[in-house]
Amino acid sequence: MDEEFSRSQRLKAAVHFTVSKICEEIGQDCGKEFNKLVIAAITETAFKQCDIFAKDLEAFARHAKRTTITVEDVKLAARRSTSLAIYITQKGEELTSTHKEQRERKKKQSGKSDESEAPAKGSED
Amino acid sequence: MADGEPEVMFKKETVGKLLSMFFKDEKTRVGGDAVILMTEMLTIFVREAARRAAKQAHTEHSDAVDIENFEKILPQLLLDF
Repeated sequence: MDEEFSRSQRLKAAVHFTVSKICEEIGQDCGKEFNKLVIAAITETAFKQCDIFAKDLEAFARHAKRTTITVEDVKLAARRSTSLAIYITQKGEELTSTHKEQRERKKKQSGKSDESEAPAKGSED
Repeated sequence: MADGEPEVMFKKETVGKLLSMFFKDEKTRVGGDAVILMTEMLTIFVREAARRAAKQAHTEHSDAVDIENFEKILPQLLLDF
């Protein structure tokens, strides 16, 4: 129990660190100074929000009969705000296409002659 | 959002650990891409909180962002996520 408490405290300290960095950056941008209490409150809110996200993601994955949370679950978690949902979907697609590219590049390096599945690209020399 | 400059973000490791800590079932795992997206989400949440609080302070003609400013934006922030 004590170990779990200290683990949570350490993680909260990590969140606090990043939150204060972000606040510093935004504060410089709009010429405002963030009170320490505000930073602590944002940390606490982000922590709690992460708890809600985690429980949601877990439920979504379980509903799909999975034990691993995937990009699809995160998209569901972001559905409430339209612009956020669009942004997350776009980011997810970017990640998937990067993986695909990397995989194809690896394939090309290992076996150059095997190109029966890949669509023919005329411009490639 | 500022392009070019590297923005302050949460660490992937931190978010991964946070999520695993909150799971009820120990067997639940998080995919690599899912962690990256959640890092993005949490960063957006914090940025949005800070921006809205700063804007609230601005409308109240205050140079400092106080807890009252944050309290005012908190309900709508939570409804939006």
